[in-house]
Order: sequence, then C-alpha cells, then structure tokens
Amino acid sequence: MNKILSNKKVLCLFLLPTLLITTLIVVIPIFISFYYSMLDWDGIGKGSFIGLHNYIELVQDTRFLNSVKNSLLFAALSIFIQLPFSLLLAIVVANVSRGEKFYRTAYFIPVIISTVVIGQLWQKIYNGDYGLLNALLDNLGLTNLSQDWLGQEKTALLCSFIPILWQYVGYHMLIMYAGVKSQPPEYLEAALMDGASKVQVAFRITIPLLKPILKVCVTFSLIGALKVFDLIYVLTNGGPFFSTEVPSIYMYTTIFDSYHYGYGSAISIFIILECLLFTVFLGFLFKEKEVL
Amino acid sequence: MRLKKVGVLLLSAVMTMQLMACAGTSTKGDTKDTITTTEDKTSDDTSIKEDVKEEAKEEVTITIWHQSVTDTDPVKKIIEDSVEDYKKLHPNVTIVQEGVTGEQYKTKIKTAFAAGEAPDISYMFGGGSFVKPYIDAGYLLPIDEYLTSDVKDKILDGMLENCTYNGKIYTFPTITFLANLYCNTEMFEKAGATYPTTWTELLDAVDKLKAAGYNPIILGEKDRWPGMYWFDIISARQVGNPAIMEAFKDPTKFNSEGFVKAAEKMQELVNAGAFNSTMLSMSYDEMVSGFAAGQGAMLFQANWIHPNFENEDAVTNGKVKAIAFPIIEGAAGTATEFSGGSSDGYYINANTKHPKEAYEYLAYLSERIGIEGYEAGAGLPCWDASSVDASKLSPLSQQSAQLMETGTSYITWWDNILSADDSESYKNLVAELLALKITPQEFAEKMSKLQPSELY
Repeated sequence: MNKILSNKKVLCLFLLPTLLITTLIVVIPIFISFYYSMLDWDGIGKGSFIGLHNYIELVQDTRFLNSVKNSLLFAALSIFIQLPFSLLLAIVVANVSRGEKFYRTAYFIPVIISTVVIGQLWQKIYNGDYGLLNALLDNLGLTNLSQDWLGQEKTALLCSFIPILWQYVGYHMLIMYAGVKSQPPEYLEAALMDGASKVQVAFRITIPLLKPILKVCVTFSLIGALKVFDLIYVLTNGGPFFSTEVPSIYMYTTIFDSYHYGYGSAISIFIILECLLFTVFLGFLFKEKEVL
Repeated sequence: MRLKKVGVLLLSAVMTMQLMACAGTSTKGDTKDTITTTEDKTSDDTSIKEDVKEEAKEEVTITIWHQSVTDTDPVKKIIEDSVEDYKKLHPNVTIVQEGVTGEQYKTKIKTAFAAGEAPDISYMFGGGSFVKPYIDAGYLLPIDEYLTSDVKDKILDGMLENCTYNGKIYTFPTITFLANLYCNTEMFEKAGATYPTTWTELLDAVDKLKAAGYNPIILGEKDRWPGMYWFDIISARQVGNPAIMEAFKDPTKFNSEGFVKAAEKMQELVNAGAFNSTMLSMSYDEMVSGFAAGQGAMLFQANWIHPNFENEDAVTNGKVKAIAFPIIEGAAGTATEFSGGSSDGYYINANTKHPKEAYEYLAYLSERIGIEGYEAGAGLPCWDASSVDASKLSPLSQQSAQLMETGTSYITWWDNILSADDSESYKNLVAELLALKITPQEFAEKMSKLQPSELY
C-alpha cells in the first residue's frame, strides 16, 4: 500500500477527480463571477464591459460599507462571545459527572434545526405584539422596555445576531468537546496530583492543548460570520432601512431585486477576497503564537 | 476475484432491469394514449375531434412555471385542473406545471432564462421591474401571429393593452386586480365609526377605533410593497391619475406641491397612530393573516386577498366590507380612480419547441383563470364572463366588482411601472416616509431623481 501511495503518478490520479470537481464548481465560477463583476449587466440581456467601475462604485457606496461594518461586528461577536462561551460549555460538559450525553445532545439540537425554522421561532420571540420576550418583560414589570425588537434600527441588528450566535454555540462546543476528550488523561492526573485546582487545569492544560482545535473553530466562526445570509434573510431581510444588512444580503437584493448583476458580482468577489484574506491572516496569527 | 465476478453480474443485472423498465413505461404510455384518443373521438365537440386528428401523431410536452402555490390562492387549483382537463381535450399534449412561491420565483426564473433552461410558459409580473428586461433581451415570444379574432372577441375592451409592448402582444390578461380599503365591520360598529368617504372621516375613524382599543390600520411594511400601495392611492387621490401618468414620463414633476402634500398625508396618518407600531417588522403574510384574525380594523390591499377573509376559519368571515379609498377634500383625485389593473400574465418562451401548442394552452389557461378565478373570488375577469352567475359570488367579490364598475381610470402598482432599480428606491423611500425618517419635501425631491418610465 505504501508503495502505491509513494508513486507520484498514482497520487495525481487519485487527486484528479476532486481537483476536477473543485475546479468545475468552485474555481471556474469564481473567475466567471470576476468577469461578470466588470460588466454593466442586468443579468438578462447583454452586458457592456466597464472594467473596474463597479469596484470603484462599491468602495464609495455607504450602504455597502455599512453592510461590511455589520458583518465585521458580527464576526467580532462570534469570536469574542460565541467561542468563549462554547469553550466554557465544552469544558464543563466534558467534566460533568452525570448526564454528559444529555447535555451534549441538548446543546447540539439548535444546529440540526433548519435555519428557517429557527428564524420563525425567533420572530415569534421578538414579535412586538405577542412576542415571548415582550411577554416576559411585561411579567417582570418592565413594560416600558417591551418594544418591536426587529422593527427598530437600534435593536434589530443585535437581535438578529443573537439567534445565529445561539444556534452555532452547540456546533463549536461539539468540536471543542471532542478536542478536550481526546487529550491524554496523564497530564490532567499529574496536575491534579500536584494540587492544581480544576480552574487551573482548564487554563494551564486543557486550553493550551486545545490550540489546533481553537484555530479551526475561529476560522469556521469567522468565515461563517462574514458570509452569513440565511437567518438574517428570514428574520429581517436586511431591514429596517438596511440596518441589519450584511454583504451577502446586499448582493442578493442587488442581483435579484435591482437587476444589477455586475455590481452584485463585484460584492460576491469582495466576500471571497475578504474570507480568503482573513483565513490567511488567521493562519499567520496562530503560527506566530505556536513559535512562541 | 470471486467478488469481482459477483459485482459484474450484479451491475449487468441492474442495467438490464433499467433497460426493461424503460421499455415497459414507454409501451404503457402509448397504449394509454391511444385509449384516451379513441374516447375523445366519441365526444360530440367537433372542433376537438379535428384537433385530435391533426395532432395525434406528435407527442408534445409543455412546461409551465407559476407562482400560485398557497391553498388560499384559487389559481392554484385552476392550473392543476387545467392540466388534467387539457390532456382530455388534447391527448397528445402533456402539460407539466410547477409552482414556486414569491421571492424565490423571481430568482428561479431569472436563473433559468440565463441558463437556457426556462419553461415553455412562465408567469411574470408586467411592467418595467419584471417582464420588460426579458422582452428586451428577446427571451419571450410575441403571440400576434397566432392570435385569432374569435379569441380576441372574448377579451374585454382595453384589456389587451396591458399585454402589449412595443406594438406586439405578448400575453393574455387573466383577472384584474383592484386595491380596495377593507374594513372590519364588527370593529367599526363597536367603535361607532363610520366608513370613511373623505380624508377627514378617515382620520375621525382612526381616532374612534383607537379610542375603542383597536389597531386602526394594519400594515406589513417589512416587505415594503404594502406601504407602497398606500402612497400609490394617496397620491392618486391628491393629484389624480392623469398627473401621476405625467410624473412617470417626467419624474421631475414628482417634486411638486401635489406629491409633497400626498407625502404629508401619509405622515399625518403615521402621526395619528393609524398604523400598527410593529409595521416595520411585519411581513405581508403576517399582515393578511393578522387582518383575518382581527388584528386591525382597516387594510388597503388588492382583491386577491378575499379568500383569506372569507375562509370559514377566519375570524373575519362575513365581517369585512370593501370600500373605495376615501377622497381628499379639495384635491384633484376622485373616488373612481383606482390602483390596480391586469398586470400579470403568462408568457411564452421564445425558444420553445412548440410555439403553437404553447399558445393554445396559454389562451385556454388565461381564459380559465379569468373566469374561474372570478368565480372563486380571486379577482375580476378580463374575459367575457357573462356566463357566470354574479349572485353566486362571495359578498366581497360582489362589492369589489361593483366598485370596479364605477372605475374611470386605473394605474397599476407603481413598482410594476418603474424599472427594477427605481422601484426599489421608491419602496425604500416610502418606508422611510412611514418611519418619519425623511420629510415630505425630501421624499418628493428624491422621487424626482427617478428615471422616466413608459406606461404600458
């Protein structure tokens, strides 16, 4: 078996199908999109070539810049709130003495529910007339705080991010949980024997050993945040007044509602480059730390 | 080695079975078709007989994509029935229908045309924001060469105008939609409010309804077009339909006293607390079901929503009254000017392999939707519907039909007139107006920057 795998020709042959499929459905469309992004095109008739004009317009478009700002805010929330929370859960669930399986499943349930269902669910929670959240506030005597959560610019953005953060906590928790569980118990036992507390063990041993897993989680979380679409589409569709708009929603409305296929393609190319850039940057960041 | 042999055997077995299965179905299909053909030959309609003889040889499949998927939409059943019935009339023609809901439909049809995989017939909204780019790109087939006078005679006067672009007819009208003000009679009675005929009476009704603890007007502005309907009609009442037509040709005219006043009227309603406070997060669907569940006393919408209110389960069943939108005292508009018209239809793909068969089905389906849709309360017919017993119609459909008889002029929804880009701008501006984010003057000024549009 080893002999076969060390033969470069065979290796190439084995990689060929995947390479072909990836090229066909990922690489080529990206290049086609790039070409489209240089057209003034309604997506139906004939387009005219306008070079980089769409990109120039893009960086001056306040609606676009606002959508980028929203997605960056969301990325920051994902990394600095969602992931620490998932980590905490992972460590707690891994150390819980009874019902480990139950907690693991319970936290993972939101991940397997369809996004549209979650969207509908949270819409009912946020509803200004009969929503759960307002009912709760009323019961606590905080009636003056109850409001139309998704209908106001100042609350809609945060309210539409919370369900997404909530949904994927379980996902990251599961990855980290697997990481924690696969750590050799010797370190732990040795530390406990030397008199370390559980908290010390978590910070000095479990988390540092989890670094490769954390890198995966941060990358997933960041990329997921930058290209988030579905839940926001269901909850607010970018409204009210673009306050919850993220680049992918803006791209969708530009192409399918305003018929600016070229401009929308420019936004999609921006999203690809943005994700690529951040992934490379993250790789760099984690590498530096590993050396130290 | 042995495993390999078994594998080969299995594979060949599967392949043979597939071959046999294919052969099986095709012979089955043939026999079934011949049976239906002979059945039809015994029918007494001579025209059908001739058709069958002519075309019996060639098997034709026509695909149609439409938007009627909800059970409250009577058109859904009409299309489904038409597929079966058409097969009986034309045994060689098989219709394959597929429905996709709302926003997804737009995406799907666009992608399909770009990929060259569009159906033979597709549903489209009229006007600049939807169908026009497809016509300009040559994707759709004009039907002039197939159109015969006997079909033309069945269509009500003037209704084909909405189907004509650059002098060519592209589709048939089906039903006319007309926006009315719907009032919940129970709430009006309990609040002691009168059905408004003037703007002052409307504000008065709003006050009384509010005092009685009702939400005066329900509006789902999350989708933005329901609010657009309000501005469409308020400006029709303020400046009159002819002035609106002028403004579409020359948008600088939007920046005039009349439209500023219309925008002021809109904000007057907002300031009076007429709309639900949750309007910006409420979708169209929630608005309609909300009204049906008694969450608002008034709703301004098109007559396609009747089945929702006359549903046996609806709280509002039998408690809804359709009236014309109130006039504004001293303004140019009259109560007989309406928002609406016949703006949507089914269009034939220019690349269809069977243009004649597609045309025939189009004519058949459009007439059926026109008449049966009218019977079912989906809208008013664009076709000669004298065969329909009007007294059997639902009360709302009757009221709506009576209102339409008074109509002197119609302007379709503005987002059907404006280009895709401008209709987005317009809807966003109305939403900002409703949220009091811009002043009427700013609104009018921004409207004046739209592109001129032709009226179809």
